[in-house]
Amino acid sequence: MKEIEDFLKENKPIVKDDPTFLLKTRQRMEAVEGIKAEVDRQRTHGRKALIITLIVGLIIGATATAMSFLYPVDASSVGEGLWTSFRAFLTQWKQLLVFVVAAMAITLGVLLTRGEKSSMRL
Amino acid sequence: MTEERFIREVREQQEPLRRFLLALCNGDAALADDLAQDALVRAYVASGSFLGLSKFSTWLFRIAYNCYIDYCRKNKPEQTSVEEAQALPAQETSDASFRYQQLYQALEKLPEKEKAAIALFYFEELSIKEISAILNIPQGTIKYHLSSGRQHLKQHIQL
Repeated sequence: MKEIEDFLKENKPIVKDDPTFLLKTRQRMEAVEGIKAEVDRQRTHGRKALIITLIVGLIIGATATAMSFLYPVDASSVGEGLWTSFRAFLTQWKQLLVFVVAAMAITLGVLLTRGEKSSMRL
Repeated sequence: MTEERFIREVREQQEPLRRFLLALCNGDAALADDLAQDALVRAYVASGSFLGLSKFSTWLFRIAYNCYIDYCRKNKPEQTSVEEAQALPAQETSDASFRYQQLYQALEKLPEKEKAAIALFYFEELSIKEISAILNIPQGTIKYHLSSGRQHLKQHIQL
């Protein structure tokens, strides 16, 4: 076993001197820096959009709440009116609605079957 | 860690790192250098998380080993690059060329962990404790891999 140990110690792999190695590494690091900067930029952009959405939502919500206090409406009359018009709509278009739901179910079934086949092919 | 300090550390560690990967890649210098660069970029990206709890070299070797393992998972093992062994500096004798050829061919036959343990212990002269931290396996298992690696090498190397 001593011979093997000596053989390994005496025959360490020789690394060729490559002056471009560090240069190439630095180039890769700079490329990574570029990607990191772009990701940071997009993250900041997304954060800004989120904050703006939050502020706009708060303003709209506050306005709606203020309006509901300033101009109160009888909720029961609105609710009854909505329910009556919904029932009238269902009665008038029930055949068409059944047809649309059936067509959607068939399309969904066909699409799912095709999806399974294509995934099996992969 | 600042970029300057990182570059300074890398400059010191690049040769041992490339040698370790060269042994793992059975003498394929191009692949070893590619993996070394990949490891250095990974280390650079993660340099903020390096807390200095271990030596920088230990941390870097661990990243390099993980890069190598990732590469092995993605690619089938290739044949030993004999031309690397033959393309030794002119002053090297043909005897040396033959020895390196033998070494790389023997290393190719070892399981990954045995090969890594042998390379780190004999070529980089690291302690069992450091190798254990790099390969993330207990010290007793490292000793077992070293012993088993030596046995396997003995079967493939003519002394």
